[in-house]
Amino acid sequence: MNAIPAELLRIIIGLVAVAVSVGLIGLVMVWVERKVAGHIQRRPGPFEVGPSGVLQPLCDALKLVGKQLFMPNGADPILFWLAPVLSFLPVLLLFLPLPVGDGIQTLDVNLGLLLILAFSGLAVLSVLLAGWASNNKYGLLGAARGVAQAVAYEIPLLLSVLAVAFVSGSLDLAQVVKLQGTWPWNWNIMTQPLAFLIYIVSALGETNRAPFDLPEAESELTAGFHTEYSGMGFGLFFLAEYANMVVVCSVATALFLGGWHGPVLPGPVWFVLKVSALMLLMVFARWTYPRVRFDQLLVINWKWLLPLAVANLLLTAFFVKLAQFA
Amino acid sequence: MEDMAKIVFGAYALIILCGSILAVGAKSLVRAMVGLIATLLGVSGMYMLLNAQFLALMQILIYVGAVCVLIFFAIMLTRADSGGEEAESAPLRQNLLALTAVLSVGGILGWLVLTRPLATTGVPVEVSIEKLGLGLLGPYGLAFELISVVLLVSMAGAVLLAWERRNGK
Repeated sequence: MNAIPAELLRIIIGLVAVAVSVGLIGLVMVWVERKVAGHIQRRPGPFEVGPSGVLQPLCDALKLVGKQLFMPNGADPILFWLAPVLSFLPVLLLFLPLPVGDGIQTLDVNLGLLLILAFSGLAVLSVLLAGWASNNKYGLLGAARGVAQAVAYEIPLLLSVLAVAFVSGSLDLAQVVKLQGTWPWNWNIMTQPLAFLIYIVSALGETNRAPFDLPEAESELTAGFHTEYSGMGFGLFFLAEYANMVVVCSVATALFLGGWHGPVLPGPVWFVLKVSALMLLMVFARWTYPRVRFDQLLVINWKWLLPLAVANLLLTAFFVKLAQFA
Repeated sequence: MEDMAKIVFGAYALIILCGSILAVGAKSLVRAMVGLIATLLGVSGMYMLLNAQFLALMQILIYVGAVCVLIFFAIMLTRADSGGEEAESAPLRQNLLALTAVLSVGGILGWLVLTRPLATTGVPVEVSIEKLGLGLLGPYGLAFELISVVLLVSMAGAVLLAWERRNGK
């Protein structure tokens, strides 16, 4: 029998680790989100189940798994069930090129950053298919909003990422992290503060998180594109949303916040700490800001983020060139 | 390793073939688009097999992530029925014409491939992004700029069409 190639083994171990951690992160994030919402908006429910509400996410998960799966009349059966699977599976792939620590990375590719950006585009398709296949006007409206938003917010996101790629001269996430130093003033956020800001705002838009959660705006569209999904059909969308949050926060950490660099503590601990801080920021943003109107959402993007991102990119290119001559 | 590459090639070819048949034959427009997406993903896999990773990822980023999403948006605006009831089966004459078109293109390409096999390298060489970028702005600069002119023309045309419609209201 032939020996299994080391690379394949690495990918399998990585995938299993990612699948497990996505499930765990989902549970923890449900709890965190409910607790933060409870404290900010006086929603005492999540304090009741178990000590300080730790059993709440388990109950939620059990409820979701136990629910019957429905499909509305006149829906396209193949596309209807393809959509949640398509929303969740590519996300697992996005975790592979993330450098969690020095050399701790499942897939060491030169184009890791590009791989993440390319496959995160599939998430929009799942929103579209879900909204379309549901045969429901709220679903369709949510999907239409999803497209307009995703297409718009992808551009400043790419431009802000490109600015960092210019500075580092590489699309390899491990390489970008290596070029940054131990202390906060050695991180890319010091040279690219505007890009960081643009990235965070566009990332909120790309992951459909409040205040930009227009595709599922519950007060207008019941639940938008996933109105018709029950049980784990909805559960997969839900997990994918949290997993996507982890991915954008991890990319932000690697690009702007020095990745696994940090004093005293070992690398992976710093990485997890930084990612959690960013996730907490996103949760806080959700429960403190009111939802924007759809025209406001597009105005923010096309009239503010996009010109700023382009200007930032041009300036960066200019200074990088200047540094080469100097 | 070579056998493995052949198996993977076969799998991608199958994905492309099935996807394109679905794209052409499906009654529902959205299903046809899913077929198109499968085809594009298969082509991206082919690029990956040829060791052109940058091209493969760009194929997914641009065609699957952006172009298909915009096509979807257009489909949504037509308010097509999800069952595809508006699609009628084509008359015999059209089918014959389509068959002729397929046979002529397929025939020429097949004949070329069979009679004049290309000289290929055994193992595909990876071209770095630096080389690709320098090539696009250096020796192939003219072609690169011409393509951008084509895109500019189509964009201007789209704006013009939308403008007339708004004035007509």
